[in-house]
Amino acid sequence: MSDIGESDAPPPRAGLRRTDGESLLFWTLPAAAIIWVSAFLLFPGFTPPLSPTLSADQVAAFYRDPHNLPRIRYSMILFNWFGVCLVPILVLLVMQIRRMAHRTPIFSYCMLGCVAGGPTLFLIANICWLLAAFRPERNPELTQLYNDFAWITFTSQVPFLIAQCVILAAAIYFDNPTGLVLKRWVAHFNVLVAAALVPAAFTGLALSGPLAWNGTLSFWLKNIAIAVWIVVMGVVLGQAIYRERDQRALPEEQQVAG
Amino acid sequence: MNTLATRTASPLAWYARQNPKRELWLAWGTLVVFYIFFGVVFFVLTRTQPPPSPAWDSRKVVQWFQDNHSGILIGFAIMFVITGMTTMSNALIAYSMRRMSVSPAFGYTYLILYSLSAIPGMLLMCIALTVGALRPDRDPELITWTYDFAFLSFIGTMGVFLIGSLVWMLAILIDKNRVFPKWFGYLNLCNALTEIVVSPAWIFRRGVLAWNGQIAWWLNMVVFAIYTGVFIFLLRQLIQREDFGTGPLPNLAPKAAR
Amino acid sequence: MTDHSVAQVTKPGKFVPGQPDMWAFVLFETLVFTGYFGFYLFYRTQSPELFLRAQAQLDLRIGVFNTLVLLLSSWSVARCVQSARAGAYRQAHTDAVLTTLFGLVFMVSKVFEWFRQIRIGNGFASNDFFTYYYFLTGIHFIHLLIGFIALGVIFYQLRRPAPRSRGSQELVETCATYWHTVDFLWVLIFALLYVVR
Repeated sequence: MSDIGESDAPPPRAGLRRTDGESLLFWTLPAAAIIWVSAFLLFPGFTPPLSPTLSADQVAAFYRDPHNLPRIRYSMILFNWFGVCLVPILVLLVMQIRRMAHRTPIFSYCMLGCVAGGPTLFLIANICWLLAAFRPERNPELTQLYNDFAWITFTSQVPFLIAQCVILAAAIYFDNPTGLVLKRWVAHFNVLVAAALVPAAFTGLALSGPLAWNGTLSFWLKNIAIAVWIVVMGVVLGQAIYRERDQRALPEEQQVAG
Repeated sequence: MNTLATRTASPLAWYARQNPKRELWLAWGTLVVFYIFFGVVFFVLTRTQPPPSPAWDSRKVVQWFQDNHSGILIGFAIMFVITGMTTMSNALIAYSMRRMSVSPAFGYTYLILYSLSAIPGMLLMCIALTVGALRPDRDPELITWTYDFAFLSFIGTMGVFLIGSLVWMLAILIDKNRVFPKWFGYLNLCNALTEIVVSPAWIFRRGVLAWNGQIAWWLNMVVFAIYTGVFIFLLRQLIQREDFGTGPLPNLAPKAAR
Repeated sequence: MTDHSVAQVTKPGKFVPGQPDMWAFVLFETLVFTGYFGFYLFYRTQSPELFLRAQAQLDLRIGVFNTLVLLLSSWSVARCVQSARAGAYRQAHTDAVLTTLFGLVFMVSKVFEWFRQIRIGNGFASNDFFTYYYFLTGIHFIHLLIGFIALGVIFYQLRRPAPRSRGSQELVETCATYWHTVDFLWVLIFALLYVVR
């Protein structure tokens, strides 16, 4: 029974891999994206992003405001349901990495590790926001603590996102240049996105300015980079899946590399 | 027009040109770099290892945060960028188990256990201390809460490392491919036992079994450091010996011939 | 390439070297335990009256009994190895069963002693001496549980029909070595906690 990483022959190209259902999983991406964007816009703390310089009382007032409270809760519930929606897409990327001309499954394993880490960290932030909104009448300092935890986690927990990009780029760089599964520019793009995510890790250092969790680098650059990554990689992934599907439909002699 | 034959030949020819072990060396190199960063960040920058005392009152804890303010924020921000490197370490170790004669289940189990270990076992501490250091004028009780949360989660996340080490130990002891020497299997048991020895840290606030105690921290850290140094060395040997076969791994040839 | 590697692997006369690896483990664990003992002795000198008073609460008789039981188990496991080497598998099996029984007696006795101490009011966090007491006997207890797994391996090896391979015999000896270590560590713990006053 062949499974991931078992054979010591070059990994099978189009035609030998079981791919049923992959396009199904792939098309969950636009649905997930719509839900995410809606939840993002619904959350009053993102539009505009909450400032770290607010005092405890102001933060408590934010959570106690009857206009905000339902929006906070429902957007975060939505995020809790669908926060992990990117996992099938990331695993489809792992499947593409498996198609590349690597001698070992190291890159797929790394990618799987990242896939496990990213959504979990997001869920921690999500839970903290929900907690902050649960008993808004509590001591404002406590609400501020939850709020801080949520924002710091949401903003600074980029290690697995960065690693995803770097590993995907490395996997592409290590692929056979005459038969690339994913094009070279995808690798360069991922390196750029990884670089764009780095400043957000330093958000703890500043309560105002571009590094603060509502600032240009930590909020706007990071979230826009993630959004662009999802869109671009979505298109690239879709192309790869459908290209592979088309190749399988061709008679064997006409199948072209990559 | 590329035929199937040429397409299969080309990856093989391409393999021959590349060093097939380079992705393994990349993983090993990343692993070494990660531990260097880890050492510098935790022992030098943030001064969280060796850990401060759980017996301190709020005033002393706040003082500690003040003394280490920039170190904590910068050091952990670095961790937020590089923690993805741990996926390479886990991938390499999982790969070592795939090279063994045992079921792939061992490698996958280890991969999952250690993939999810980074969050409760390290990142939670980094996040909690960042939040604690974020607002020096916060209520000292709340700062002490983040302090406890940080150190207890770091030192006290035991199960993943306990079971993970036992899984690796079991794989090594029943392996027929001699990927690792048996004494290293037993060393995994020693590492697993340190996770049991550290458990009283959840109970004691002073003495040898507190989270900064001579037994729960110092002695355990010695065992862990030896264990880590050894497995880094053995992984290097594994890559050198690797023949990409499925049988017993050949020993390293004596220095003259290779 | 595979033939070449097979030729490299089978060295004449040497199978899986279980014994030296186990000795390395034994040495390492002994060093670690020496560390624990070192801390115990040091902190004992810091508060000798407290330790003496607390030690008086321990029942020396149970300690001696436990030590005897484990020594007997070491004797039976050594006999088991000898019998297995001589090919007397029925005898070896009986010896292994004996060892297991002795181990179980020790286990039950230890748990009984713990419960007794807790009922008197000496818990894990009661005072420094009892912290060490529960810690040392606890970590030893875990080593004992692992010892049962080692005994299980012995049983499994003994089930194979004669003549068993060298590797199998070595595995039995390796597990016996581990059991001896468990006994040895207990003797040290007994001496430190019960006897040295």
